[in-house]
Amino acid sequence: MIKFNEVTKVYENITALRKVSFSIEKGEFTFVTGPSGAGKSTLLKLIYLAEKPDEGSISIAGWETLSLKEKAIPFVRRNIGIVFQDFKLLPNKNVYDNIAIALRIRGVKESEIKSRVHEALKLVNLRHKTESFPSALSGGEQQRVTIARAIVGEPTVLIADEPTGNLDVDNTAGIMRIFREINAKGTTIIFATHNMELVKNTGLRVLKLDNGNLVRDERA
Amino acid sequence: MYSLRLALKSLWHDRWINLLSVITIATGLFILGVVVFSLYNVEKIASHMPERFTINVFLSNKATDRDIKGLIKYLKRSPIVKDYRYISKEDALKELRRSLKDAAYILEGIDENPLFPSVVVRIKSSEFDKNKVMELIDRIKGMSRVDDVIYAARLFESIEKLSRGFRLLGLGIILLFSLSVVFVSYSTVKILFYRRNEEIEIYKLLGATKGFIRSPFIIEGSVLGALGGCLASAAIFGFVFILKGYNNPVPFLAYLKLPMPFVAVLPVVGLALGAAGSTIALGRLKYQDA
Ligand SMILES: Nc1ncnc2c1ncn2[C@@H]1O[C@H](COP(=O)(O)OP(=O)(O)OP(=O)(O)O)[C@@H](O)[C@H]1O
Ligand SMILES: [Mg+2]
Repeated sequence: MIKFNEVTKVYENITALRKVSFSIEKGEFTFVTGPSGAGKSTLLKLIYLAEKPDEGSISIAGWETLSLKEKAIPFVRRNIGIVFQDFKLLPNKNVYDNIAIALRIRGVKESEIKSRVHEALKLVNLRHKTESFPSALSGGEQQRVTIARAIVGEPTVLIADEPTGNLDVDNTAGIMRIFREINAKGTTIIFATHNMELVKNTGLRVLKLDNGNLVRDERA
Repeated sequence: MYSLRLALKSLWHDRWINLLSVITIATGLFILGVVVFSLYNVEKIASHMPERFTINVFLSNKATDRDIKGLIKYLKRSPIVKDYRYISKEDALKELRRSLKDAAYILEGIDENPLFPSVVVRIKSSEFDKNKVMELIDRIKGMSRVDDVIYAARLFESIEKLSRGFRLLGLGIILLFSLSVVFVSYSTVKILFYRRNEEIEIYKLLGATKGFIRSPFIIEGSVLGALGGCLASAAIFGFVFILKGYNNPVPFLAYLKLPMPFVAVLPVVGLALGAAGSTIALGRLKYQDA
């Protein structure tokens, strides 16, 4: 599904990733861990094509990203749902429209959008907040809107960058449950976090980064 | 159409700024329209002037029927000659008598007709071209028993210069104001684009195509341009109406013509220039940082 081969990414003088290789199978649930600045977000950005590797190659769902035409990028991204570390919600749109936009860019009919958005809202337990604007939501609620937007397009891969970043224990447990549920339906999940408590005893795969190096690849 | 809804919503959201843009575009297009309108009318007047332009070919007294026939045959074949009139010596004398009226007595006592036969030639206004006319004159001059060819050289020159000068000036102004309309839509859309930059970045990450991202902006630019064009059309209509007003002291203005298709085309021109401006403003969108 996703394959990194000796990938290096350099920002000006900082090497964010150094010769990182791994491969993730379809339907797998994988954590990416490591301290702040280890390169977690960079790794995810390379997957959703926001960045290009300086060395090495990446293949996603059979696409070689290096030989990918610019025009194909949006269509590859439609297979990837992203939960951003900083949410990236549209402040001037309500919850419904924030989620619907993921389908509107795909040209889905409004009637279908309606039912799919409501389904996604049900999954993240936010049906009562359809009309609210992001500024009127708590951090956990905004996080869940972001998750709903990421999954409403039924992507094959779901990427989450610190989706429990600043949530309390209950909220974190709730969001973990949602991800396990999505994964149970067959979606590949890549979940970046620096919270080792979250990873512990899950029995899931963990890629540990430190200072740009992949230092461990094992089951928790 | 989601893009259309988005564009209209945004147009309405910033309606006062957009109104300003529309007025600016309308002003540009109005000036553009006035220039085209003036140019059109100058061309029209210039194209009627050749009708007053005549070439008088004076023949020698010794000219035979054959000489005259030869000249007429040549004129008949020339593609630029509108018509010609042969005036015999006798006709010329009659005409002179008539024009002298009461003073005709001065002609008494002249036994022999002192005048020359002549041919008056008029040129087709559609074919009025300096080189062609000069070629014709030179040819006639070279014919046997043609004494002299007289034409209004001054009028000839001024027709040429007037339309050429106006055309050049008009073209310059048209270019200038087209560019200014493009620039206004460019900067309007550029500001919108910067203000929505964050939104656009999110759209890109969610998998929106460039077309999807661009179309609301291009629609906005086009709508602004088209609205400006409509306003300019209305203004020109009013402007010409006042110019041609019934109590106008300059009667010549009443002959000015405002072609209707031209009024109709201004909104389309505005739309095209608006679309061009916004397309330039959007520039190249990129999905990836290098
Ligand atoms: N756009 C950028 N320009 C320059 N340096 C960058 C850029 N993005 C990331 N970096 C640097 O690359 C390194 C890895 O950053 P990255 O965001 O991947 O870390 P992270 O593991 O996600 O950290 P955190 O847990 O704080 O989110 C850091 O040293 C960071 O400063
Ligand atoms: Mg990060």
